Amino acid sequence: MRYPLLIALREFAENAKTKGFWIGLLLFPVMLVVMIQVPRFLEERATPTRYFTIVDQSARFEPVILQGVERAHARRVLEALVAYQARYADPDRLPQAGDGGIDLEDAPPGSLNPAEVVKRLAEDNPEMLDTLQQPDGLALVLAGIRPLLVADAPPFEEPRRRLRKVEIPAGVDPSAGPDQVGEALKPYLRGEERVEVGGESKDLFAAVVIPADVEEHIIRPGTLQSVGWDREGVRFWSANLADDDLRDVVKNSIDEHIRAEAYEARGMPPAAVREIERTSVAFATFDPKKAAGEEVVSLADEIRLWVPVGFVYLLWIAIFTVAQMLLNNTVEEKSNRIIEVLLSSVTPGELMMGKLVGIAAVGLTMIAAWCISLIGVVWYFAGPEAEFAQHLLDILADDRVLIPAFACYFVFGYLMYAGIFLAIGSVCNTLKEAQNFMGPVTLILMVPLLTMMFIPKDPNGTLAVALSWIPLYTPFIMMNRIAGDPPQSQLIGTLALMVVSALGMLWLSGKIFRIGILRTGQPPKLLELLRWLRSS
Amino acid sequence: MSGNGNSNAGASASALVLRSVTKTFGEFTAVDDVSLEVPRGVIQGFLGPNGAGKTTTLRMVLGIFKPTAGSILILGRPSAMEVRDRIGYLPEEKGLYKKMKAWAIIAYFATLKGMDRRSARRRAFDLLERYGLKDFANAKTEALSKGMGQKVQVLASIAHEPEFVILDEPFSGLDPVNQQVMEGVIRDLAARGSTVLFSTHVMQHAERLCDRILLIAKGRKLFDGSVAAAKATLPRRVRIETDDDPAPLAQVPGVLAMARGAQGDGAWELRIRENADPQAILQASFAAGIRLRRFEQLDPSLHDVFVHMVGDEAKEASFR
Repeated sequence: MRYPLLIALREFAENAKTKGFWIGLLLFPVMLVVMIQVPRFLEERATPTRYFTIVDQSARFEPVILQGVERAHARRVLEALVAYQARYADPDRLPQAGDGGIDLEDAPPGSLNPAEVVKRLAEDNPEMLDTLQQPDGLALVLAGIRPLLVADAPPFEEPRRRLRKVEIPAGVDPSAGPDQVGEALKPYLRGEERVEVGGESKDLFAAVVIPADVEEHIIRPGTLQSVGWDREGVRFWSANLADDDLRDVVKNSIDEHIRAEAYEARGMPPAAVREIERTSVAFATFDPKKAAGEEVVSLADEIRLWVPVGFVYLLWIAIFTVAQMLLNNTVEEKSNRIIEVLLSSVTPGELMMGKLVGIAAVGLTMIAAWCISLIGVVWYFAGPEAEFAQHLLDILADDRVLIPAFACYFVFGYLMYAGIFLAIGSVCNTLKEAQNFMGPVTLILMVPLLTMMFIPKDPNGTLAVALSWIPLYTPFIMMNRIAGDPPQSQLIGTLALMVVSALGMLWLSGKIFRIGILRTGQPPKLLELLRWLRSS
Repeated sequence: MSGNGNSNAGASASALVLRSVTKTFGEFTAVDDVSLEVPRGVIQGFLGPNGAGKTTTLRMVLGIFKPTAGSILILGRPSAMEVRDRIGYLPEEKGLYKKMKAWAIIAYFATLKGMDRRSARRRAFDLLERYGLKDFANAKTEALSKGMGQKVQVLASIAHEPEFVILDEPFSGLDPVNQQVMEGVIRDLAARGSTVLFSTHVMQHAERLCDRILLIAKGRKLFDGSVAAAKATLPRRVRIETDDDPAPLAQVPGVLAMARGAQGDGAWELRIRENADPQAILQASFAAGIRLRRFEQLDPSLHDVFVHMVGDEAKEASFR
């Protein structure tokens, strides 16, 4: 055992010293931070203030649109408030139901993404939005939240207004026909001319042109207008088609307004309608496999369902990275001819075992570092993601299958692929030669990545079961299926097949390794390989 | 456990015994029925042209290859793996881990040979200092020159003070100064009591260093014995200069031929049969009253022996 251990130690020490190892180690948390920070940054800073103008010849909808823009802003303020409260909430002063605070625990069950929860909560809260739209509404709400926060919470920063109305440019005659107005606006919209805002000149982002006879272009079911393409109604002009925030606000606020009018015309007060629209049935998903009284599927359950997918991905990256290291390293030893000195001191078997163990230790170190940094980063950024991380940790702590399964599939998956890569490394003299062999192996390895997202939807379907019985795929596919409670027989059967194949693979690659490692010149042809396998 | 002085295997008088060793790769016979006995404590040269089967033989000795036929006893054991801690090996193709420091590589190979990590480290620094590489102890091997790298590798192969050192082409790639250093290393090893087996196709080194040589070509043994015995297999030459007529000397028993030498007036060269005594010519000169201005006994060099024994085959091999 002494020799493999010495070799493993060296492999570990030398690989842990390489730049590649540290880059791999640090890249992951850095990427996480970037992935979290960049969208936030873009959201906050990179979206410029959009200036738009309204030419409302019908004199009906301009206040409606402005009201809609205000509401959209109020919604963003509310979202920011919810996130702010979640981040700085004092755990000792949790809000009580009905005291006006924003309570995440009220989140509708079954929703997966915490950010989605926040958004839904913010949208489904018209009273709060009404409050925020009043002049001193924000101060009022903040005063309400304040006692629930930790003492040193920083002051709340109101999100910037992203949509601002400007006056109709001087060169545009608002009383001309809508077509002419559009024509006159074009230079502004194309950026050839700019508009004055508070002494600064700005690009005009969009213009809304509403003709005087817009009433005739309201589409009502059963009438002629509802058929075909009517371009005589509200005209939304913009050179930027990608940013549709304003477009949605304009369309939705006008639609809501005319619907409210229609309700009223039929004798229904708008307040009643709004109440009716928010009426829904309590809805919960039940899982027959869970204990009595706990069958309700919660957020945690949803996470639990998807955690294996994350694990499959981790497994895949880990196995691929580590096996690649093993390959590089074997080719290096071979091309440097160090192998001969090694083989005068240790047997090929000992050498192989040492390398397998040493490199696996490198890989495990990397995985561990990734997991720790994942938790650390999520923790640091707190916010709604922290809830998610907490659920994740709870699940990992509670579940008795996940971690052992991951460990088991890692070990045998690694041994299997390590065997292949070692054999490839031992017959190649340069990395370039090795790349040729790597092509097909990489192709084989792509399959579990492609099926990763589908398998949880039908974890015991034909495809999943068939792939499970292919030993090269067993670790990934079975990890993928684990949340779907695969039949015991398959669990044990595929495990046994995988263990046998992994050991067989190692035995075969040991034979190839022993012959290949001392060989120079062209890599052997397949036939030659088969002869080696038979001869030794 | 250090490599030195394991007494239970000391019972065997020979460091290495090969008995009719043969190795074939498919159709090709790399080593054909080679036998050899290397006594302990000698420097054994292993000579042969390129492609003679030297490296294959050494790999069999080390247990990296299994012989197709025949048997090998190394330090009294049938398998080199059993006594691997007492053997040092420098392969023909030199290479080191590029990213490792010089001392670390020497220490690593020493630990693989059974030394504990601390003494291996100390030994590494000692050796580097002794062979003038002290300043490079902490350099990564990729930063070393070829010669220095090769020295490091030699040191790595002998750091554990092996009883039996096998060096495959230790001089190749070294400049004359470092070849001298390498010769010094081999003499040091022998002085310490180690058995050294080294292969080379440069005869000067073998001539200066070896107690015994084994000469093979195309996998077959051509000669096995002391250097003197090897030289004795060639006819010798004697060069004389005289103003008298040397004709009577052609009649001396053992003289095969006599011809004018290239050195000018009165220079003659005599070829005498191998194992004949050149002194007989001197005596015959006195007896015949031939006055010699010069009498020079030209021993064949090992190079001559080599060329004589394998010349044709070597040429053949080099044009293949």
